[in-house]
Amino acid sequence: MKRAALIALLALALLPAAAAAVKQRTSMEAILPQVMCVTCGIPLQVAVSPQADAERSYIQQLIDRGDTAAQVKRALVAQYGPTVLALPRASGFNLTVYIVPVVVVLALLALLALLLPRWRANQKQASPDGAAPPTPLSPEDASRLEQELARYEPSRAAPRPRSR
Amino acid sequence: MRRLGPIITAVFAAALVALLAFGLTTQGASRALDEALAAGRQPAAPNVTRPLPVLNNAGGPTARLTQWRGGVIVVNFWASWCPPCAAEAPLLERAQRTLTADHAGTVVGITYKDITANALSSIKSFGLSYPNLRDINGSYAAGYGTDKIPETFVLNRQLHVVAISRGEITEQSWLTRAIVEAERT
Repeated sequence: MKRAALIALLALALLPAAAAAVKQRTSMEAILPQVMCVTCGIPLQVAVSPQADAERSYIQQLIDRGDTAAQVKRALVAQYGPTVLALPRASGFNLTVYIVPVVVVLALLALLALLLPRWRANQKQASPDGAAPPTPLSPEDASRLEQELARYEPSRAAPRPRSR
Repeated sequence: MRRLGPIITAVFAAALVALLAFGLTTQGASRALDEALAAGRQPAAPNVTRPLPVLNNAGGPTARLTQWRGGVIVVNFWASWCPPCAAEAPLLERAQRTLTADHAGTVVGITYKDITANALSSIKSFGLSYPNLRDINGSYAAGYGTDKIPETFVLNRQLHVVAISRGEITEQSWLTRAIVEAERT
């Protein structure tokens, strides 16, 4: 009885390790987006060519063998070189892939930081409360406006002197 | 400060344009060897001193083309996944037997972005007796302007290119003529 309990306990203890081992095994769906078709220059996921078929078949062999994603990728790099990986290594000219987007974003932020205060200062100078100040009418224009309005609103019209 | 903004923008734009230009100009296969041949010259074969991993019959873990200097070398880029490569393999093997019998040189196969096990299996099934090397990532073939296979380059004794077949060799006579030309120069 004691032995059976001990075996059961041991099995229970080993269960997470076994589960982890199973978890580490990779799948075709997990690997394909991370790999390029080396002759077509497009992701293996969408490549249709004899070479792509050979590459997929090789990956399937590695998966069937129980390799993890890292092991599959290492094996692919050994066969085809680092260009087989969709994400290029951060070395040499490939560094531009990582540096250029960061530099572009930083440059745009710097440009905004430089220009925004200037735009805001210009706007404040134009109007302290943010709205364009009304331009006062000249006496002639004011008189003409009054006359025009009076044509539509008789009440605004000044009372005419009565004729005798 | 007001003048610095446009200058920075211009420098930045120029850098991006230069990067784009670099990317565009480094794309595509070089045709320098073909142009030299068309102009009547026999250009030096590229990468002849660069070692490549050996698949079979080259006597060592790595080999370079210079080790066959002094004879004609028929360099054939191929892969196990390439049906035209399989189709031309008997022609190359026939050329190899003639070259060996005449002590005139060798065919050297170079697999292009291929899996070792698949290449070895093809060598066996095609019955290839000539040495085969591995171009793992295609950078060796790029020196020859090769980005499609099969392609074949016939080199003379001084390791200069005398004939190029970009595509499958369909006529044994082309190969024979090219080897005679390589022996003559």
